[in-house]
Amino acid sequence: MSDFLRDYLNVVWFAAIALVLASLLLGISAIIRPNKPSAEKNIAYESGVNPVGDGWSQSQVRYYIFALLFVVFDVEAVFIFPWATRLETYGTFGLVEMGIFVFVLLLGLVYAWRKGVLRWV
Amino acid sequence: MIAFSAPIVDYHALAPELVLAAGICLVLLVDLFVPAHRRWITGTISGLVLLGALLPVVTLAVLGGDVRDVLSGDGISGRYVVDNFALVLKALFLLSGYVVVLLSTNEIEDGGYYQGEYYVLLLSSVLGMVMMASSRDLVSVFVALEFLSIPAYMMAAWKKRDRKSNEAGVKYYLLGVFASAVMLYGMSLLYGIAGSTKLSVIGEKITLSGPRTGIEVIAVVFVIVGFSFKVSAVPFHTWAPDTYEGAPTPVTAFLSVASKAAGFVGLMIMVYLAFPLARDVYRPFLWVLAALTMTVGNLVALKQKNLVRMLAYSSVSQGGFILMALAMAFTNGSEESSLRAIIVYLIIYAATNLGAFAVVIAVARRTKSAEISSYGGLFNYAPGLTVMMTLFLASLAGIPPLGGWYAKFGAFRAAVDAGGGWGYTIAIVGAANAVVATAYYITVMREMWMKPVPEGADTSAVKVPASLVAALTITGLATLAFGVVPGIIAKVGSLTDLTGAFHG
Amino acid sequence: MLINNFLVLGAVLFCIGVYGVIVRKNAVLVLMSIELILNSVNINLLAFDRLWAESGNNDGSVFALYIIAVAAAEVGVGLALVLLIFRNRKTIALDDLSEMKG
Repeated sequence: MSDFLRDYLNVVWFAAIALVLASLLLGISAIIRPNKPSAEKNIAYESGVNPVGDGWSQSQVRYYIFALLFVVFDVEAVFIFPWATRLETYGTFGLVEMGIFVFVLLLGLVYAWRKGVLRWV
Repeated sequence: MIAFSAPIVDYHALAPELVLAAGICLVLLVDLFVPAHRRWITGTISGLVLLGALLPVVTLAVLGGDVRDVLSGDGISGRYVVDNFALVLKALFLLSGYVVVLLSTNEIEDGGYYQGEYYVLLLSSVLGMVMMASSRDLVSVFVALEFLSIPAYMMAAWKKRDRKSNEAGVKYYLLGVFASAVMLYGMSLLYGIAGSTKLSVIGEKITLSGPRTGIEVIAVVFVIVGFSFKVSAVPFHTWAPDTYEGAPTPVTAFLSVASKAAGFVGLMIMVYLAFPLARDVYRPFLWVLAALTMTVGNLVALKQKNLVRMLAYSSVSQGGFILMALAMAFTNGSEESSLRAIIVYLIIYAATNLGAFAVVIAVARRTKSAEISSYGGLFNYAPGLTVMMTLFLASLAGIPPLGGWYAKFGAFRAAVDAGGGWGYTIAIVGAANAVVATAYYITVMREMWMKPVPEGADTSAVKVPASLVAALTITGLATLAFGVVPGIIAKVGSLTDLTGAFHG
Repeated sequence: MLINNFLVLGAVLFCIGVYGVIVRKNAVLVLMSIELILNSVNINLLAFDRLWAESGNNDGSVFALYIIAVAAAEVGVGLALVLLIFRNRKTIALDDLSEMKG
């Protein structure tokens, strides 16, 4: 067995111990606890107010547009980071390329601005 | 640290893409800064941009050498090239894009939909297709495919308040994205096997021998499945009829012609460059797909009551003939005739189908309906449109003096050239289907020529707007010319001779 | 360096994603499943990238960057479409999308 795999043997041991411990604790408590089912116990919250309505709740659609804008600009950073770490290596060529890239991104921002997306109404 | 040397860019070869990209920015800005009642100008600009991008394609065809590396430099040579194959297809995509702009202008303006965004998305999609024709690398194939698909998802749902259009967009989107995800998984395996994303390197490594055969088979199958969704091959066609029916009709024309052609181009690039040695996997697979696509598409088309839906199924079955030619690539030296057959088929099919949709749009302006029954007695009040529609339907059916005949002839010749059990059987299946297909095209013709006008229909002469007349003229002339003088397109076919086309 | 572990992880994620796409009826959950597939592809690509790194080739990591960006664009469009059907129908269950048949 390689050293690499032997390192994982510890994980296996831990997993086994965790499994045994958990099943022991749960098993013992299952044996010794009293069992008296009632309808109230099946409500999601045993105390306080009863839950009403659906699990899904709506939020303002405006958040969605901002979230979307954020995601798009945030993800484009994936191209900017590798370039930024090697700024000097890529020289003028890289700079021009990144200029074009950022220009296209800015065009998107101008679009969002003219369409009034950036205003919170 | 690895030394970096900037790649050399061949700007002449890149010019069509550059013109389109600049045009997209221009249309976007014009849309933003022009008052609403003058927005129609975005359509005009888009048309000009598409024709402008065609110029460098022509100069490249006349002046350029056989193969030009668009980007050359350390490790990136041969990944994005311009050759005769790419030029022919770029011209096809740009021209079909132009015809779609002509079809859209009235439809989008009268419907009160967003105009500027529509044309920006249309141009972006065409840019993706133009890139697809030049891609010789997994990354650029993938980026081109997404670039042409993502705008199309939005265009399919363009009628915002229309439930059918929403449904069309969502179905197209979910299946398209799922298919490209599956295809990507296949591509990641291809990269793992070959150690490069360059297709010509992958082509040498996928040999179906040695310990990795299992993974190679999975990779090839996943990639073909991904593209099969795009070209709506049965059994991956389920989105097509619904999307075609629900989407605005010009978008349907665009999807069924340009988007489909781009899917076939991608599939072709993969089969010819990346899988030439994997014939034992792709040939049976594509054979079954082709047979199913032709047969199922035709049988379902027979019972359609809606003309757009019928054309959708007809376009599914037309795709089967292209798959037939592709399945027979690399069988008994038939690669050249099948390559030529596919390109010729794509060009003729584009002209014919766009024409048929132009007539549907022109008639729907009057009748507000695409039901076949609403075409009753069309000849009485729109004789010109009736004649044009008959021409396009006859061409789709493959009746001799028209373009469709030459296209089908090429596909059959590729299958027969390949010969053997695979080639002859698929040719027989295809011939049977060509006969069945004639039935539903003739149903529509009979409706137009012989049936009475439906009760209460307005029978004053139909006014066809100038842009639709232009679209009908272009497509009609092309359909006629390709059939009567196939010499012109045969020349296009030989331009794309295989050696220069791919292994530059 | 054992890349098998990563490939197995990728394959498992891929299967979970495909299962989710087929079984789930909620459009947003289908979208999440598709994202899962794309991430499994990224894991695969990066694992293979390490495998081929000695030959001075890093196509895999470049490919992964493009997939991340394209996936974000896809999800943007997908959520917009989901929003559209929710506005018109007040539901995002995919089974209810049956306006057209045949």
